[in-house]
Amino acid sequence: MAKDMTKKKIIIVGGGISGLLATIKVCELGGEVDLFSYCPVKRSHSLCAQGGINACMDTKGEHDSIYEHFDDTVYGGDFLADQLAVKGMVEAAPKLIKMFDRMGVPFTRTAEGTLDLRNFGGQKNKRTCFAGSTTGQQILYALDEQVRRWEVKGAVKKYEFWEFVKIIKNKEGICRGIVAQSMNTMEIKAFKGDTVILATGGPGQVFGRCTASTICNGSAVSAVYQQGAEIANPEFIQIHPTAIPGSDKNRLMSEACRGEGGRVWVWRNNPETGERERWYFLEDMYPAYGNLVPRDVASRAIFKVCEHMKLGIDGEHRVYLDLSHIDGDYLKRKLGGILEMYSEFVGKDPREVPMEIFPSVHYSMGGIWVDRLHNTNIPGLMASGECDYQYHGANRLGANSLLSAAYSGTVSGPEAMKWAKTGNKGSELTDAEMEAARQEVQNEYDKILQMNGSENAHKLHHEMGDLMYKYVAIERDNNGLDQGLIELKKLLKRWDDIGITDRGNVANQEAMFVRQLRNMILYAMAITKGARMRDESRGAHAKIVLENGQRKHDKDGELVFMGRDDERFMKVTIVNYDEKTEEPIISYRDFDHSLIKPRARNYAVAKKE
Amino acid sequence: MFHTTFYVRRLHSLCGLFVLGMVLFEHIFTNSMAILGPEALNGALEMMELIPKPIFMGLEVGGIAVPLLFHALYGIYIACQANNNPGRFGYIRNWNFALQRWTAWFLVPFLIWHVGYLRFYTKGVTGTPISWELLYNYFQNPLVVVLYVLGMFAAIFHFSNGITTFCMTWGITKGPRSQNVISVISMCLCAVLCLITLVFMGSYLVR
Amino acid sequence: MAEKKVRFVIERQDSANDKPYIQEFDVDYRPGLNVVAALMEIQKNPVTVDGKRVPPVVWECNCLEKVCGACMMVINGKARQACCALVDEIDQPIKLQPARTFPVIRDLLIDRTRMFEALKKIQGWIELDGSFESKDAPIQNPYTAQTAYEISHCMTCGCCLEACPNVGPQSDFIGPAPTVQAYLFNLHPLGKFDAPKRLNALMEKGGITSCGNSQNCVEVCPKSIKLTTYLAQLNRDVNIQALKNIFDN
Repeated sequence: MAKDMTKKKIIIVGGGISGLLATIKVCELGGEVDLFSYCPVKRSHSLCAQGGINACMDTKGEHDSIYEHFDDTVYGGDFLADQLAVKGMVEAAPKLIKMFDRMGVPFTRTAEGTLDLRNFGGQKNKRTCFAGSTTGQQILYALDEQVRRWEVKGAVKKYEFWEFVKIIKNKEGICRGIVAQSMNTMEIKAFKGDTVILATGGPGQVFGRCTASTICNGSAVSAVYQQGAEIANPEFIQIHPTAIPGSDKNRLMSEACRGEGGRVWVWRNNPETGERERWYFLEDMYPAYGNLVPRDVASRAIFKVCEHMKLGIDGEHRVYLDLSHIDGDYLKRKLGGILEMYSEFVGKDPREVPMEIFPSVHYSMGGIWVDRLHNTNIPGLMASGECDYQYHGANRLGANSLLSAAYSGTVSGPEAMKWAKTGNKGSELTDAEMEAARQEVQNEYDKILQMNGSENAHKLHHEMGDLMYKYVAIERDNNGLDQGLIELKKLLKRWDDIGITDRGNVANQEAMFVRQLRNMILYAMAITKGARMRDESRGAHAKIVLENGQRKHDKDGELVFMGRDDERFMKVTIVNYDEKTEEPIISYRDFDHSLIKPRARNYAVAKKE
Repeated sequence: MFHTTFYVRRLHSLCGLFVLGMVLFEHIFTNSMAILGPEALNGALEMMELIPKPIFMGLEVGGIAVPLLFHALYGIYIACQANNNPGRFGYIRNWNFALQRWTAWFLVPFLIWHVGYLRFYTKGVTGTPISWELLYNYFQNPLVVVLYVLGMFAAIFHFSNGITTFCMTWGITKGPRSQNVISVISMCLCAVLCLITLVFMGSYLVR
Repeated sequence: MAEKKVRFVIERQDSANDKPYIQEFDVDYRPGLNVVAALMEIQKNPVTVDGKRVPPVVWECNCLEKVCGACMMVINGKARQACCALVDEIDQPIKLQPARTFPVIRDLLIDRTRMFEALKKIQGWIELDGSFESKDAPIQNPYTAQTAYEISHCMTCGCCLEACPNVGPQSDFIGPAPTVQAYLFNLHPLGKFDAPKRLNALMEKGGITSCGNSQNCVEVCPKSIKLTTYLAQLNRDVNIQALKNIFDN
């Protein structure tokens, strides 16, 4: 049978929750999908989401409301999220949950068989649906199954173990395809599509050790940034307060631990009596929310206790996350997966002894700039999921990431079909244009294969992680950020001097990593520059005031942070790539905050609306 | 669609446990008469001769030959699908899995020899009836004794372990506890039957 | 300064058709070191114990938390996830091999496509009318849901296929993991509707009939899924389905 030429072809890069849901939506609307992924989509990083997914189900007699979810998200995001976009997301949330339930996601249930809900940070009501402590895995699997069903029906063609390299624009500058490379045969190929959706996830690897998978390198985002896509709010990097520090990666300990009653503490000598005691510092500092303050707040508190008060366990960067007072069977049922992980990697049972944890880079609120329908500034190119900047503002609430990933997929998929059918797509790509784009990537790749310098790409990556943690993490100041930018530029220079040992043409992971590393360095520069230019503290971005070139302390010896500056900075950071200098250009853009008036964010007291 | 593989495999399981199991029991039962002396065994053998020839032949063909051939031939096919790896994965069930196949490989030539020599050549061609005396003379050769003991052990293990796997294959025992219980019971049965075999084989030697 | 080293003996292979060969590497010991972290160190300094500079070892990994299933390899003879194979807990020198039940692409990188193809065979999905809100999802028995949750942990890593003596080029068995997944969907209140289809698929060649009850799968499953229990349950279901096929028509 001849191929139906009227069918619309959507290219989706990334097989996490957002990419898969977009795929399903496109298929349901009669489109065809070419789905590209670094790995079998079932192994995408979405499966590392543990705690749950927020949706106002209001089944716990707490009179939870969608408005409350909306307000918590905006307030938690320190009023930097597009409020109309957030409103759309929280309204869709309960419907998405019911759909997932039908799809076979094995959510944890109450004795009555309805969906159970748990507490999560930054929210006073039980609003988080969960499947044990592996919610992301379960949702991803359900979507993977649905996509497989569409694959069997012939609507989806998967390109697993293919790396997206860049987009192809036509004469009018409209995105009409991509170039990708097989990670096994190293073949480079150009693909045509009516719309391209990037759903490539976050850039955690820019920080080296983080809670993200090794595949979350932000390389695709950086690639389109270099091709003219705008990045928004890259400086907002969420540091998760509770992770198991490790030399290869920091493994996430879900916020659900605290949601289920976990307490964070360190030993101290009581300032009044001098007695040695357990200090539950989050409960002490933030009586209204206690251990369930949002992540940026908790991370800063832990950092302060360890770094400035020197109260970390054995003086190191560790604090206790304690579940040992909770019934073991209950824990096994609610948190089984992650407790097992802790035992496996640390060798101690969290049901017996408190866990030792420390904050780690976790999520990027920023990403490719998109409008509310997930179109980027390049026509025909869309972004969806963690790789876009939407929904979370300056800080993401726990369990809102699965929601935003899923919701963005349900928006970007149909919108991609609409563009494919009615958009002003300009001229078709000619074979010559396709081949030219392919050849360009081929030449770049061949050049990498010839690199013969003295640097090792993996060592450079490690150094980049260290310097990003040093200058652009929990506490930032302009001195450090300036220094960070200088060092990143040096790193970019040193990239040219990389030497590779693998010149083979089968699964050449080294050569691919070299290409990714350059993209990562350029993205790191965008993060750092964005942070440098934002002279305020907001959400995850906390900047210390400098006085005479030194960090300023108040009379009690505490660091003085800049305040939130709504006047100047209640705006989205926009980063454009300067092709000549390879540096980021920062500007600011207004966004919609018409529904909730900004107010001070203080988790020591209960929220007032 | 008619799932040939499925039905044939299930038939293989049924015929192994019930039909060939019966044959094995009959052999052990009849031969164990030797413990009581030549007369007892000969009596038991003569009892069987009382069954009218056509019926006896029918039983031999329908109850032994056909099921045995089917079980053996299809069993070879099954055994060929396994890449035994108890060396790498030395769990008890995996050892049993491998032994099930190794005993099968031993039983194929053993049974060809056993049936070929005693049933076809001795009884069929020369017309000599099987009797205690015949077996006594036959077992004067120690090699024959060793091979017969091994053959019986192999058959008994294959049958006993077959009970355990039968219960799994038919979904009778589902959980690990019930599967273990059946496994222990069938291994006890295996031990008892092996012991009986040793005793009646030994009874020829002590005389 | 004699730092403690960990010796890795790695079975490498340059491409699918090349002959395997052995290379040895020393990695600096540190507490909590796991096999993936060690391979990452080798990437930073790909020099063998003989001082030869070689291409870094190729393998697959993503999450490093034992949820993605990517880094399965044969470590000291056993199929397992490399990320949670702590050097302190295994014998040294540590021998790494690819899981040869699957086609080897290069070094420790293998092609597990067959597992995903098998999931198509068993029709591992719910026949959803559409990804929209249509009605409230049915209430589920929380105990059944817990069983489903357990099975749904399967990360398609392939340990059970590597350990199963009945999976390999000599057989067409799809393997324990995909087989048991069929039960997951048969448990779901909506998935139940298509249970006969899945059971019939399991009756086909290479389906559940090829299981020989060696029970290696349940021993090696990194997620402790009670595979043999569900295989027995499926056997029961398949037998009943077979009777239905015969007598209901």
